[in-house]
Amino acid sequence: MEQLSHAITAKSLSFGYKNTLVLDQINMGIEAQKLTFILGPNGSGKSTFMKILAGLLTPQKGTITMLGKDASKLTYPERSKLVGFLNQQHKAMFPFLVEDVVLTGRAGFINFIPKETDKAASIQAMEKAGIMHLRHRKYTELSGGEQQMVMIARILAQNPKILLLDEPTTHLDIVNQSRLLNLLKLLVAEGLTIVAVMHDPNLAFIFGDDFLFLKDKKIIRSGETMNAWDIEFLKTIYHGKLQSIPHNGRSLLVPY
Amino acid sequence: MKKRVIVLLIYLLSLPIVLASLFIGPSETATPSAIFNLIFNNEGNTYLIKSVLFDVRLPRILLTFLVGGSLAISGCSIQAIFRNPLTDSYILGLSSGAAFGAALSLAYAFLPVQISAFIFGLLAVGLSYFMARKNKNVSTVSLILSGIIVSGIFTALLTVVQFFSDPFKLQSIVHWTMGNLHNANWEKLQSAVLPLSAGLLVLFIYRWRLNVLALGDDEARTVGINPKKDKLIILTAATLGASSAVAVAGIIGLYGLIIPHMVRMIIGPDNRQSIPLNFVFGGVFLLIIDNFSRSLSGFEIPIGVFTMLLGAPFFIFLMKKTSIGWNS
Repeated sequence: MEQLSHAITAKSLSFGYKNTLVLDQINMGIEAQKLTFILGPNGSGKSTFMKILAGLLTPQKGTITMLGKDASKLTYPERSKLVGFLNQQHKAMFPFLVEDVVLTGRAGFINFIPKETDKAASIQAMEKAGIMHLRHRKYTELSGGEQQMVMIARILAQNPKILLLDEPTTHLDIVNQSRLLNLLKLLVAEGLTIVAVMHDPNLAFIFGDDFLFLKDKKIIRSGETMNAWDIEFLKTIYHGKLQSIPHNGRSLLVPY
Repeated sequence: MKKRVIVLLIYLLSLPIVLASLFIGPSETATPSAIFNLIFNNEGNTYLIKSVLFDVRLPRILLTFLVGGSLAISGCSIQAIFRNPLTDSYILGLSSGAAFGAALSLAYAFLPVQISAFIFGLLAVGLSYFMARKNKNVSTVSLILSGIIVSGIFTALLTVVQFFSDPFKLQSIVHWTMGNLHNANWEKLQSAVLPLSAGLLVLFIYRWRLNVLALGDDEARTVGINPKKDKLIILTAATLGASSAVAVAGIIGLYGLIIPHMVRMIIGPDNRQSIPLNFVFGGVFLLIIDNFSRSLSGFEIPIGVFTMLLGAPFFIFLMKKTSIGWNS
């Protein structure tokens, strides 16, 4: 039964670029229908880890299982129906309209030309992401935060079971950050599994269900006896001047 | 709404322009008044006028249209898959490669012109791409630079072929590399129509996929598209279209760069609409240029001269407008 509660599992996963090892023998499971945040210092390999889960990088060792299926055996369309991925940055070369960018999320369902059902799905996705007012605008002329929301709508149009989001809140102002994170909570309540890399541990602690920390090529959890927001635990992850203040039964982290 | 009117006008005006082109040419027999005389009064040298219209002008018009449309669509597709608005078959060295292949075939006749042009066109694109690739990344500028090098190599090889050709073949090769449609005939049209249509058909089918691929490899892969496979199919089709155009009409420089940009200005970057419009607009526009080139002076100015003179300042304008970088 243990395995079924996990949407993603990794077994002895190792990955490195040329001479530097980034992830070393990682074992972990991500719980289904939960909002899991991945935290850790800069350069700890969070984005690399996400790209491996998304299938954009191939691990040198180890296996990944997604909803019970061996990830290395999935075809491109099969994978796109299971997992959606938001890259940390995206640069467009052509001034596509927002609705045309969102529609490309349907590619896994489309043979050559999108049908009405695909257009309906992308309109629904834009409504959910709250960007209907941008649909006829040019993607290249939007602000960084607006572009981010367009790419999120694109994943929603894709309609996968698992969302992998690499720093979804960057470029967003504080109100839009909370709007997005509440949307993620809603999606989890509807049955999706979401894994997101976060830069800001406080936003993670306010909205998250589960927390993984990447440090020294390993994934670390706070364990049974401690919470992820306990200052003693966090000090083992982030070195530096930090103190915690209580908030809604959890704690937030403040530099001093 | 205004956009749709312009697009509709382009589609609607294409047929009258094709028909009107039948009246244009240096022939002193088949002047417009002579043709009208023949049609309405049934007077004049029927045989000669008919021959000029249907054996000289009509195949040329159709060939010009096909070549123009094909260069435009292939340029548009190449720009999308390389995510680079500053390329086309000419800049990638494809045209020079195809020209070398065609010249080789003209001089030594070891392979049919179309096939030889296609093989060397594909080879040239492959060379440009792999020379520009660094850390799995192909930047806008390095692709243009490697295209220049590859183009230079094949132009040099073309000169070697010319050097070893006898004077009669040499003259035809030189004339043809400048980009010329004056010796168009039904046979040429026949030889080009199949490969051209095959390339265009594939690109037409893949027109929406171009949108997905234009967003980048990672963005295509995560929504279920295999970018390597799709790009290879599209590049092969684009090369087939462009190299067949070169094989029948010579090098028509920068045409595949200009037209997709003009079309994008009219209708936006969505390739579902821009691919068909590129075909019609690219065809009609080349026809208009060709009409000028065969009526401006007593002798014919090669059409490639016109497109280069038009395209070069346009390229500079685009380079200034698009802020391009070495890493993007």
